[in-house]
Amino acid sequence: MTLEIVLVVAGALFSIGLFGVLARRNIIAVIMSLELMFNGVLVAAIGFSRFTAPAALMDTSGGITEAAVRSALTGHMFAVFVISIAAAETALALALVFAFYRAQQSVEITDASAMKN
Amino acid sequence: MSGAFDSGPIATLAFFLASALTIVSAIIVVTQRDLVRAVVALAMSFVGVAAIYFIFNAEFIGVVQLLVYVGAISILIAFAVMFIGDLANAGTLSQNRMISAVAGVLLLASVIFVAYNTEWTSIEEVTDADAVAGLAGTYEVSGTSGENNLISAVDGDAEGARGGALVDSSSHIGPALISDFILPFETLGLLLIAALLGALLVIRNRQEDDAA
Repeated sequence: MTLEIVLVVAGALFSIGLFGVLARRNIIAVIMSLELMFNGVLVAAIGFSRFTAPAALMDTSGGITEAAVRSALTGHMFAVFVISIAAAETALALALVFAFYRAQQSVEITDASAMKN
Repeated sequence: MSGAFDSGPIATLAFFLASALTIVSAIIVVTQRDLVRAVVALAMSFVGVAAIYFIFNAEFIGVVQLLVYVGAISILIAFAVMFIGDLANAGTLSQNRMISAVAGVLLLASVIFVAYNTEWTSIEEVTDADAVAGLAGTYEVSGTSGENNLISAVDGDAEGARGGALVDSSSHIGPALISDFILPFETLGLLLIAALLGALLVIRNRQEDDAA
């Protein structure tokens, strides 16, 4: 279990999500693929946090502080914020899908072209 | 001292099992024609990702993943799928699926190329006794430097030790949120309120509201 393997798994998850976003026609399926992409990014962030050395712990000239230890948590903080924003984004996106469905009686992504041209 | 999971063979095996669950479920999500089955596969994929977080000593993020993604977002999407009954050709892929597949494969190839051609630092390169003790949680506060507490190893014979993953990450997340990340944290609260109100505003039925 090395950082490279973790990044491959994260990249695979992101790529599968990208394929879904591009290839799916149903808006809800596109949102599901978007969630896969979020998770790919988060696996990479947590993997970096787990396997790489924070600069603050390598430079020991001024002594080690609790803040330096917390810098090993940067990926975790990234994940906390991304998960929160993704949850808000999903709720808002599904509200938009409902509004769109009520207006157009459709959830096909190609039907959302009223503002085209 | 190390956490429940370190880089032993059991952790590696668990990581590969969780990764396989995640990737296979993700492939089902993007190819399954029945959207209800796709939602179930999505929840399975989220569970696999949560397992990966637990293996990486990220217990707090793993629990949040289970609560928010498996518990809330999957249910929200399942509700949307069942509420919008128009599923006649829900699972069809668009005509540019080949281009999409090529884009995905190219992206994965570039990620693999970069991952294996970069010199990453390793947490095991941390050799300072106090830093290793900080990661392992076997330290005591020995003074202050500016606004921060200086720490030192409890038992001074950790010389020559090698760093491992941060143990007990959960107890560090709270202090980090209210010290280093206080501004983003408060902004996040504002964003959640705005998203809540925005979702309600977007979904409200104007005719029914005006008639009432």
